[in-house]
Order: sequence, then C-alpha cells, then structure tokens
Amino acid sequence: MFASIKVKIDKALYYRLANVAKIGGYSSTDELITHILEKEISRFDEAEDDAEVRKQLRGLGYIE
Amino acid sequence: MGIQLVMYLETIIVSGLPRSGTSMMMQMLEAGGIELLTDGVRGADEDNIRGYYELEAVKHTRADSSWLHKSAGKAVKVIHILLPDLPVNRRYRVILMRRSFEGILASQAAMLERSGREGSSLPPDRLAKALERQMHNTRSFLEDHSSFEFIEVEYEEVIADPVGQAEQINQFLGGGLDVQSMAAVVDPSLCRH
Repeated sequence: MFASIKVKIDKALYYRLANVAKIGGYSSTDELITHILEKEISRFDEAEDDAEVRKQLRGLGYIE
Repeated sequence: MGIQLVMYLETIIVSGLPRSGTSMMMQMLEAGGIELLTDGVRGADEDNIRGYYELEAVKHTRADSSWLHKSAGKAVKVIHILLPDLPVNRRYRVILMRRSFEGILASQAAMLERSGREGSSLPPDRLAKALERQMHNTRSFLEDHSSFEFIEVEYEEVIADPVGQAEQINQFLGGGLDVQSMAAVVDPSLCRH
C-alpha cells in the first residue's frame, strides 16, 4: 500500500475519465489517471534530459 | 553495387554518439581509399591525437546543406543528433558507431575535464539512459527513411577484430576498399579514452 494524496478535478472530466478507464480495461479510474500523469511526467523528463544532452554535446564542441 | 557506383551516388556518413569511435572509423575509411569531407578546423589534441575529422558546416546543415553538393562518394562525420537535419532527397550510407555507454561517458567526462568546459549536470546513470533513448530514436529514424541505408558497428568489436569489421564495412560500401590498410589504422593503445 502506498501513501496517497487527494487531488481535485472537475466532475465532468472525472466521469469522462471513468468511461475511458472502463473501455480501456483499466482496473479503476485512479489507475488510468495515474497512468496519464506518469506518461506526461515522462515526456517532461525526456525533454529535460534532451536539453541536458545538448548541453553535454555543446560542452564537447559537437554542436553550437 | 560496387564502391565505384556508391561513390558516384551516395554520401557516406559516419555517425554515432561523440566518443563512440567515429574518428577512428573516418581514419579507417580514409586508409581504405575513401575521400573524406573535413576542414581541419578542429585540430588534433590530447583527446583525439590523430584529429577529429570534422566538417564545421555539418553543424549548420539545417540552415545550409550546400556542403552536400560535392559529398557523393565521400565520407563525412555527422553526430547522431544532427542526422535528422540531412535532406531526405539524397541517398546516404550510414556507418552508425556503437560503444558501451560506460566507455562513452568516461571518455566524454575526461574530455570535458581537460577542456574545462561545462557538460550536463545529469547523474551518469540518467545521462546514459538519455543517450540510450536517443540512439534508439536515431535507429528508428534511419529505419523509417528510405534515403538511409545503415550498418551498426561496435567500437569494441573493431578493436578486437579490425580485419573482420573492416571487411564488413567494405561489403556494406559495395567492396573495393583496402581492408588490410583499414585494419592497420586501428590502434588499441588509443582506446584508453
């Protein structure tokens, strides 16, 4: 069991998510929301990492 | 297709992550009989005692790709991140160098330390993962674009078996290269970084 916190979201959006979770075979709406959030954070992390790689390549003199 | 035909039609690209053996591959191709596209702007130093074999114009390909006009049959170094800048209305044969991420990062760190320049602030394991993902994306890019034909060459395998790897590259480029001379430029003592 992991610690959790509550987040408020719009009720209409929640019901849309619940519907998608059902169609998508998720075990719960919470699981779908967690999945979406993790995916979005991962995109952010990748963009951040790509910027760091560019910084590394600039330092090495391979790009400007 | 023989090397003569490749030389008329296609640009030979040596690519990969920095410090993955791209300069060594350029030396091998030159020894094998391929003309190189370099400008000597970045001269030899302690990190690449035989030189970098680079062409500065490659860095600005997205804005100006005119250097490609006289590139058919010649070899040029293009690091992985710049491959998508190449116009896809041409034909390329890409030698994609691979090396252990541990070796690459150690070499890059030593180079940054010597130059006193700043690199990434990511921890090594996260930087390695980012580079691994970029290499995966590079491979997908090459597979998805018919302008590119590519071969992957492992740096460590070139060191272990220079003749065998030189022969594979010779086959990939259509034959006709001096394989023994290509293998002879591989110097394991230069692999400390």
